Amino acid sequence: MTATSEPILEVDGLVKHYPLTQGVLFRKQVGAVKAVDGVDFTLHRGETLGIVGESGCGKSTVAKMLCNLERPTAGSIRFKGEDITRLSGRALKAVRRNIQMVFQDPYTSLNPRMTVGDIVGEPYDIHPEVAPRGDRRRRVQELLDVVGLNPEYINRYPHQFSGGQRQRIGIARGLALRPEIIVADEPVSALDVSVQAQVINLLDRLQSEFELSYVFIAHDLSIVRHISDRVGVMYLGRIVEIGRDAEIYDHPTHPYTQALLSAVPVPDPEAREHRERIILTGDVPSPTDIPSGCRFRTRCWKAQERCAREVPALAVPAAFRDVSGPAAHDSACHFAAEGQMAAARDEDGNGPG
Amino acid sequence: MLLEVRDLQVEFRTRDGVAHAVNGVSYRVDAGETLAVLGESGSGKSVTAQAVMGILDMPPGRITGGEILFQGQDLLRLKEEERRRIRGAGMAMIFQDALSALNPVISVGDQLGEMFVVHRGMSKKDARAKAVELMERVRIPAAAQRVRDYPHQFSGGMRQRIMIAMALALEPALVIADEPTTALDVTVQAQVMDLLAELQREYRMGLILITHDLGVVADVADRIAVMYAGKIVESAPVHDIYKAPAHPYTRGLLDSIPRLDQKGQELYAIKGLPPNLTDIPPGCSFHPRCPMAQDVCRTGEPPLYEVSEVRGSACHFWRECLHDRDQ
Repeated sequence: MTATSEPILEVDGLVKHYPLTQGVLFRKQVGAVKAVDGVDFTLHRGETLGIVGESGCGKSTVAKMLCNLERPTAGSIRFKGEDITRLSGRALKAVRRNIQMVFQDPYTSLNPRMTVGDIVGEPYDIHPEVAPRGDRRRRVQELLDVVGLNPEYINRYPHQFSGGQRQRIGIARGLALRPEIIVADEPVSALDVSVQAQVINLLDRLQSEFELSYVFIAHDLSIVRHISDRVGVMYLGRIVEIGRDAEIYDHPTHPYTQALLSAVPVPDPEAREHRERIILTGDVPSPTDIPSGCRFRTRCWKAQERCAREVPALAVPAAFRDVSGPAAHDSACHFAAEGQMAAARDEDGNGPG
Repeated sequence: MLLEVRDLQVEFRTRDGVAHAVNGVSYRVDAGETLAVLGESGSGKSVTAQAVMGILDMPPGRITGGEILFQGQDLLRLKEEERRRIRGAGMAMIFQDALSALNPVISVGDQLGEMFVVHRGMSKKDARAKAVELMERVRIPAAAQRVRDYPHQFSGGMRQRIMIAMALALEPALVIADEPTTALDVTVQAQVMDLLAELQREYRMGLILITHDLGVVADVADRIAVMYAGKIVESAPVHDIYKAPAHPYTRGLLDSIPRLDQKGQELYAIKGLPPNLTDIPPGCSFHPRCPMAQDVCRTGEPPLYEVSEVRGSACHFWRECLHDRDQ
């Protein structure tokens, strides 16, 4: 996968605010939950873009907007050049076919009263042009086979399957309409460790088989690194750093990314003694009351006066603008710098990834 | 010795038959030691802990055999009233989901203070002062003001601190933490694990950490017991296991962690699914999923072979398994 291929999805200034109202008869807006507050990124054809961040950072809201399950407050999402946030009716339906979603929880995202055949085949009821009625059963069985399930299970119900198998059903449903983009929101976090690897391998295989582009949202940093070509780190509704996987994981320049990476437990007891950890103090601020300037400044050990005044732009920081190398990637920090951890990690060559 | 579990067996009566959740588990924990019990869902790791704590739902659960020796006393022979006295003062538990483990309609101060009123016979006022002290101990900012707040007014990480404070209130000799940081974000997880480790050192508690996260285990554990289908399949000091696992299941778990040098390649995946506990395969319960399985594995149940003085593996081929890793 190369980043030089054509962009398939361009997200620009994406915003989602949920209004907070007061009063029953005369509802007036008293504030807003700023779940997503200005997100830009580009997804290229055949690429996997990982989005990481902690709970409440807005990553799932971004996923929903990409699939048109939520309408953005502002900003645009261009699929092959066309802004899908302004579409409606037939045009919207056609676009939706091409962007499908795989959900986190395989226990609640499948209707318990529908058979597997009905669940995987349901997209064909909405988009009948994709598969003629008589052909659907065969297609569903084919899909089950593709995701590694026995095609004879077509008449079974979701409760007869394990968590990993259910996630395969969810993936088969996502593939039914032959989409070009799959948005996967925490697709393996509800699964056991030994089953996670199976599902990750499946997603990897399907990507090359069907030429899919993925937006892969997760909080598990090592899994995201394994599957992604590029990674974006979100904090409080914004992407604070984005770049190729090695740039983000080995040469992070944003303090939040550095703290996040240093907090990931490394499965190596030898590393226990000489690990340098950045333990952040305090909690993430409320999205109804976002700090001025840089939104990370309230927990940042580098914060200065300037950070409260100026919002840092997501761009290559000035310090790295004239150098080429892995540190020169987009990072929204006034004082972006490589941490000591980058050097330490290069030595043993085994970071959290 | 603080705690010794000997050949514990627990089963559940279900509609589909008898589920054999724990099938002869033995482990021990010394004061000041951290034992990590590692396993996937259904491995029996939490059920074992619930039996130790005496909070297993019976029925449908039933302890069908074994002993639980706590400071030399077999807990399974005690009356409920005697056990209740040990719970809280002798041993305490930290649960995964603090929001459902705390009472939503009682202020955190009253919940913390209750420990001292019930077990130590303190007055309400003294208990409240103790509660504030504890909240400061687990570094909750502005503890004196927040003692009147209710659980929903705290963030996830703060609630988990309150759970820790509650577990440590009476300075128990043993603490069982069941996935204490699974519901938390990584940066908060690091804060909470640090706090727990620090308090453990200070009070010299024995700690049983139940988890599925190989990263957390590597960070804090002294010894590891790996569970599969209700049995301990490998038990070893933490360094040994990560260097060279002596059981193919442990090896599979370690190999399925994405590694830097394997990017772009297929991840190692243990094939198949964990067994149904009402129908555990004969012989070695891992054999249908094991890449090393031979005929003997299908019929002969492996005992916990002694790999070294401090290490055991329930695999007929533990030597080969260890050796594989050396190459």
